[in-house]
Amino acid sequence: MASGSTAAVGELHGLLALGVLIAAAVSVAAVGRRVGIPTVPLYVLGGVLVGPHVAGDVGLPSIAPAEVLTLAEVGVVLLLFFLGLEFSIDRLIAARRKLSAATAVDLFVNFPVGVALGLLFGLGPLGAFLVGGIVYISSSAVITKSLVDLGWIANPEAEPVLGVLVAEDLVIAVYLALAVALVAGGSPVDALPRIAVALGFLIAVALAAQLLAPRLAPPLGISDEDLVVGTLAVALVVAGLALSVGASEAVAGFFVGVGVGATPLHDRVADRIAPLRDAFAVVFFAWVGLNTDPVAVAGVAAFVLAAAALSGPAKLLSGGIAGRLYGLSPRRSLRTGLALVPRGEFSLIIAALAATSPDPTVARVIPAFAVGYVLVMSFVGTLAMSEADRIERLLGVVEG
Amino acid sequence: MTVYESDLPGVGKKHEIEVGDDERLVIVTHNTGRREVFRRRSADSDAEMLFELSDGLARTVGTVLEGAYFQPVATDSIETVLGDDALIEWHEVPADSELAGETIEAADVRRRTGASIIAVEHGDEVTPNPDPGAGVGAGDTVVVIGSREEVAAFRAAFIDSDGRDGAAADESGGGADADAS
Repeated sequence: MASGSTAAVGELHGLLALGVLIAAAVSVAAVGRRVGIPTVPLYVLGGVLVGPHVAGDVGLPSIAPAEVLTLAEVGVVLLLFFLGLEFSIDRLIAARRKLSAATAVDLFVNFPVGVALGLLFGLGPLGAFLVGGIVYISSSAVITKSLVDLGWIANPEAEPVLGVLVAEDLVIAVYLALAVALVAGGSPVDALPRIAVALGFLIAVALAAQLLAPRLAPPLGISDEDLVVGTLAVALVVAGLALSVGASEAVAGFFVGVGVGATPLHDRVADRIAPLRDAFAVVFFAWVGLNTDPVAVAGVAAFVLAAAALSGPAKLLSGGIAGRLYGLSPRRSLRTGLALVPRGEFSLIIAALAATSPDPTVARVIPAFAVGYVLVMSFVGTLAMSEADRIERLLGVVEG
Repeated sequence: MTVYESDLPGVGKKHEIEVGDDERLVIVTHNTGRREVFRRRSADSDAEMLFELSDGLARTVGTVLEGAYFQPVATDSIETVLGDDALIEWHEVPADSELAGETIEAADVRRRTGASIIAVEHGDEVTPNPDPGAGVGAGDTVVVIGSREEVAAFRAAFIDSDGRDGAAADESGGGADADAS
């Protein structure tokens, strides 16, 4: 509201801060899109540019992360709310044979790679657990967009790719619930009751969403306006309560989404709230950028490159196996693997969580690592998809 | 012909339609309503995008392909087959038709042809289940239901009178399968 004109030199506040942040994110994304770089890391880059570590360092007006924190949190809640909305337990059960094997391979190949990397680079057990998650989770946003842009969406490989992404959503919901409890730290005796409360809260949300959503649906469904505002209110209140009891706001948002997704309102909600999610997600990605010091990212370059060199092929392998489990040819299985390489929004959500850790090494190294890693993997992954023909010839996987 | 339907989580739905030996038409319906239509020549080849349509356009194109598109265009007629024998046809009433300027009752449609008029479209205004006393003007479109013979009799009596170009309506049935390979 009132912008203190006497505020510290070079800091933007309120409305102007938000506007400049979004403008920076969108401008960088617009430039990058011309050369085919996915937008998620570019939004982050936009945030880096107007953040205290770049703009601030050269004496230009910059934006403090705290300025847009709440809006960034809304972005996280809506991202996970949408995952929940698209998540269908029936669909998962229908494909369980192929999918459970593919999901197990995906988890047990990629998560340990991340854990090993975390331990190797001296982050300790908690840090390794977080790096495991960052390395494990593929980017639904980047991958889905590439599938559509390249027309792979009409090919058989779309099925295992989207199947694995949906299964990962469920894994990441459980993972985030655990990670939030673990990151808060403290002795096991202190932590246990807190973890119990947090998990209990999330279970209650999941159950309540299943039971109450069908009843809440009619009053919310009167007009589009009521629908949007009402859904937003429910999602934010539940997510906010989750935060206040030390549970993951993102996972709470996920379960609210699952509840709404099971009602007939599903399609309308998806349609009306998508633009809202897109807008707030940009704020979240740019906020990650505000927190990022490019020098710190450069400092973990060796870590990022090692992770890329190991986890890229690991995803290729697990995705390839998923393709085979779905009965696809070697060439289509290779494409399944390539498609699953990009990492993005969820790795950044885990990074934002790591930044709150009381362990200074974890709080400093992991966010910087995650930003560098997502930049590299989303770019390499989408590039690999668009160059799939060449890679197939290179590897000799060509259909006769 | 088999149609396969599958979900595309986060994107929408996919329908695959067998159109040849191995060839399939793949239609991706996005959650936004946008349709993308692809052709896949064989199980192993990549889908090539043929075209994409907005939601509204896709519905119109679909109606045309279905043969049920309802728009008064001179001498054009459209039919919808109900079961083996019954069908519904749309006809614009020519100025020289006996029906032009008459009521349905006066033209004695039912008794002379066996077919019934179930709707009359006058400009943008549609009268479903018109009264026998309802008038029909030249340029109006009438929707007729009956057996093949009855509908043909209706055409002969009221639409193709005075040797206007013959029963050109009959070929509009199953022309939508793009079998060219």
